[in-house]
Amino acid sequence: MKVFRSHFLICGGTGCHASGSINVRRALQEEIDKRGLSGEVKVVETGCNGFCALGPVIVAYPEGVVYLSATPDDIPELVEEHLVKGRILERLLYKEPITHEVIPRMHDIPFFALQNLIVLKNRGVIDPENIDEAIARDGYAGMAKALTEMAPEQIIKEVLDSGLRGRGGAGFPTGLKWKFCSQTPGDLKYILCNADEGDPGAFMDRSVLEADPHAVLEGMVIAAKAIGAHQGYIYCRAEYPLALHRLDVAINQAKEYGLLGENILNTGFDLDIEVYQGAGAFVCGEETALMTSIEGKRGMPRPRPPFPAIAGLWGKPSVLNNVETFANVGQIILNGASWYNAIGTERSKGTKVFALTGDVANVGLVEVPMGTTLGQIVYDIGGGIPGGKKFKAAQLGGPSGGCIPIEHLNTPIDYERVTELGAIMGSGGLIVMNEDKCAVDMARFFMDFVQDESCGKCTPCRAGTKRMLDILTDITQGMGKEGDIELLEEMGEIIKNASLCGLGQTAPNPVLSTIRYFRHEYEEHIREKRCRAVVCSALFKSPCQHTCPAGMDVPAYVALVRAERFDDAYKVMLRTNPFPSVCGRVCDHKCQSKCRRSNLDEAIAVKFLKRFVADHATKPKTAPAPVTRKQKIAVIGAGPAGLTAARDLALRGYKVTVFEELSEPGGMLRWGIPAYRLPRDILASEIKDNIEDLGVEIKCNTRVGREISFEKLDSEFDYVFLATGAHKSQSMRVQGENLSGVFGSVEFLRDFNNNEEDWLSGKKRLGTKVAVIGGGNSAIDAARVALRLGADVTILYRREKKDMPAAEEEILAAEEEGVKIEVLVAPLKIEDKDGKVCGITCERMHLKDFDKSGRKIPGAITGSGFTLSVDAVISSIGQAPDMSFVPKESGVGISKWSTFELARGSKSQTANPKYFTGGDALTGPDTVIGAIAAGHRAAREMDSCIRMENGEPAYQEPPEEEIEVPFILDEESVEAPQAKMSELDPARRRRDFAEVELGFERMQAVKEACRCLRCDAEID
Amino acid sequence: MAKLTIADLKKIKEKVLSEVSLREGGQRAKITVHMGTCGIAAGARQVMDSLMGEIAEAGATDILVTTSGCAGMCSKEPMVTVEILGREPILYGQMDANKMRQVFRRHVLLGEVQTMFAMARI
Repeated sequence: MKVFRSHFLICGGTGCHASGSINVRRALQEEIDKRGLSGEVKVVETGCNGFCALGPVIVAYPEGVVYLSATPDDIPELVEEHLVKGRILERLLYKEPITHEVIPRMHDIPFFALQNLIVLKNRGVIDPENIDEAIARDGYAGMAKALTEMAPEQIIKEVLDSGLRGRGGAGFPTGLKWKFCSQTPGDLKYILCNADEGDPGAFMDRSVLEADPHAVLEGMVIAAKAIGAHQGYIYCRAEYPLALHRLDVAINQAKEYGLLGENILNTGFDLDIEVYQGAGAFVCGEETALMTSIEGKRGMPRPRPPFPAIAGLWGKPSVLNNVETFANVGQIILNGASWYNAIGTERSKGTKVFALTGDVANVGLVEVPMGTTLGQIVYDIGGGIPGGKKFKAAQLGGPSGGCIPIEHLNTPIDYERVTELGAIMGSGGLIVMNEDKCAVDMARFFMDFVQDESCGKCTPCRAGTKRMLDILTDITQGMGKEGDIELLEEMGEIIKNASLCGLGQTAPNPVLSTIRYFRHEYEEHIREKRCRAVVCSALFKSPCQHTCPAGMDVPAYVALVRAERFDDAYKVMLRTNPFPSVCGRVCDHKCQSKCRRSNLDEAIAVKFLKRFVADHATKPKTAPAPVTRKQKIAVIGAGPAGLTAARDLALRGYKVTVFEELSEPGGMLRWGIPAYRLPRDILASEIKDNIEDLGVEIKCNTRVGREISFEKLDSEFDYVFLATGAHKSQSMRVQGENLSGVFGSVEFLRDFNNNEEDWLSGKKRLGTKVAVIGGGNSAIDAARVALRLGADVTILYRREKKDMPAAEEEILAAEEEGVKIEVLVAPLKIEDKDGKVCGITCERMHLKDFDKSGRKIPGAITGSGFTLSVDAVISSIGQAPDMSFVPKESGVGISKWSTFELARGSKSQTANPKYFTGGDALTGPDTVIGAIAAGHRAAREMDSCIRMENGEPAYQEPPEEEIEVPFILDEESVEAPQAKMSELDPARRRRDFAEVELGFERMQAVKEACRCLRCDAEID
Repeated sequence: MAKLTIADLKKIKEKVLSEVSLREGGQRAKITVHMGTCGIAAGARQVMDSLMGEIAEAGATDILVTTSGCAGMCSKEPMVTVEILGREPILYGQMDANKMRQVFRRHVLLGEVQTMFAMARI
């Protein structure tokens, strides 16, 4: 016997072969030989280890250390360090995608630790081409037991009791199938294995065959004994060369050992197994088509009954099971039914193998007990969605299945629940999709696949799938019509009901399931010609422009920056946005989240370029707009929504008066956002230049219901736009909230911005130790202001930092300045001494199941209470509009969330047709650019409503000044990160309210603009 | 090859299991051969060879052999640390192939610490 002190197991699955494991293995063996270690170290090639995304995978025993993504160049160092010096080579270890923690040992990596291996128990542990290693791990032991100790009825009973169901997708009880076949009289029966895995993105069967082919052979022998078959076939597609090779080796080795063939293990039982190579037609995965194909005919399904258990291959009774089903059988017989049925849910027993692919960090093969939730698979095992993107849905069951959206992350995955949700278990392909995937396009992709693969026998499937594909293609190209969705649903039902085989019966599933969960996306494509995931490129010019709520022409102004035509760039911005300077500073830049450049390196710094233009362009002089229309319009609230609407309406010839409660216009821009992010003079000059100079009158210090009554407003104006925002902090509902020293964040910021001198001189005092509750932008603003007032500030947030809704750069800036952030903490009670805040009692949280937004729900840890000594508390857990100025009899509806309600079918008109609304007062707290978009929309709808009433023709935009946008593009794009924004030193920032971001230099801006890939380019 | 019987199946299992037991965990003893440059120069390679030979001969499946770098006392190389599960690790110095054989047979297999070569409890 040869003992080695170390075994290096290198993955030899197809995935790792593709990532270079063959060369790595060769280099490893050479290096070991070179150093004379070949007597002590054994190199073994195994089947798929499952961690395909980070292949080639090497596991070094006895330590169980995993080395990932190794290349031949790494090998000398690896051997030197690990084998000669006995040290772990850190740079090749696994790093947690979110925490960046380095984990050396395989069983500590969550991807492996949370799996439960039955089918895959030998993966990455044995050499699949060495039958002895399989035998060492109980290979063929179950078969030996079945052949020597059990009658066919006992085998069937054991499998029935185990609750094993067909892993090919339909979930039919395996034992029952065997029972039917065993009861069918006949001398000649067949046992068949379906290895015709064809779903896009599925590779479970391939991996099982590559990693542990003996488990499948063993299962087939047991099944053959149960039904009385002596001939077996494995139908495996020719596209799986490695699986076929290993099957071949395994069959030959088993025959040599007498574990297959005649007189198996000297028990008198015979079974011969042949491999039949399929040509890769999807329909041949269907059982009757598969059998027809083995018979040498064209693979087409035939009607059932008779079922194959009665009349299958060559008309003889046959049992067809999937690879994974067979791989379970040996262990069920060996360990007993009760061992197996203890795992899983009530009606779905055992484990399931999933091929986890798509937008997930740990792409690979996972085996989990039935009943594991989708969230656990995607987040805990899969490592979540890379690139900070959001989960959208998981497609389960490939082209026959459906998707499971974010609100069902808590769903335990078993046959019943998955079917209820409109998907199917399928063979186990699990494709994770992030927010950048379009539901309609995905449905179109799968429909394209099935219409290609339809064998053509049944007309509904042959012609119907083609028609459905045509409709879907039209929708994705902007040619969708009303009624298309209903037509798809109707055709889908017909195809399902009128097709012979599983292919047709399930073909419409991806479409029906996306319509079920993402109907609004279909509607957006059809009605608004909008694709929120910016996938359907026929619908837009560029992803950034399509994503911007206000539709700013980003590529145009970025190109003009490149050409150093800053004045023109500003004019382009002004067409869609009256506040370029503001948005250049405080926009949440959704445009950048979809920037195609981020697929190469990083998104274009659209926001910073906008600021550069706004800072450096010569502003065009605004002439007063002539009043040409007789209707008088009032706008309530001088925030971004109100001012944008006022500008648009003035440009259309209306006389507009804006009423503002506070002393200056700007809304949240003036009273919420601190000056270090948005200097006051910049805001003021933009309001003057782009709004007031048009002739819009802004009446400050005028609150409706105080300085002017609602009735007066109603009688003096023909139309009113209600854009009052959301300026009231929501209550935390904890004891002590009304103490002095407890503030709402928006109230605190408003007070500070209104009485800056008093606060700075110390006339008004906050406290020395301040706790801020919440994780949004308003919480960060309040914290950074409190810090500048000299306080020691701690933010308390109940989830994890990655869940904070505030912008990442804001959180980072706050921490740099010295704000402390405590996560997984929630307030219980605010403590006081003589009516003044002296502390806040909190409890620690832990994260449980997923909520509907895909974040984990925090729950209190009992007995974890602690008191933080503070003398002021700022609560920032959300804002709501103040609706106290709206009289009940106004006819304007208010929702239970204290926001305005719209008239049916309208996007800005209320139930009283003279009143329109938009911005935070309608939606609850949202972004600046969202408010600007709402202002545009309201102005447009108000104007068209007025014109319609008067029987006038629709408004014609006056011809725009022609600005020629240059099209210069580099031949090649060199990888380069986003230009860095220079900032004030964190220590310097704390002293006052000077602007933190300093803006781009001219050369920096031009260079940044050159990074744009010009997605707006059209090919003639 | 002759056809297997059920008894053969068990035999293969036992034999191969001892070869691959390394991948399962559950070792009784851990032997570290210090193989820094100094150790190798002083003959750690021969010590290792002798150890591997002994393990194979004894058919021991529950012993983990690892290497480590220089322990800092280069003059005492080759050094070997023997740790029987649940007992204090013992550091042996100035080892050679013969001493290794003795340490393996007496200490690792029988549990008698070979004090004549031992340098320290760690």
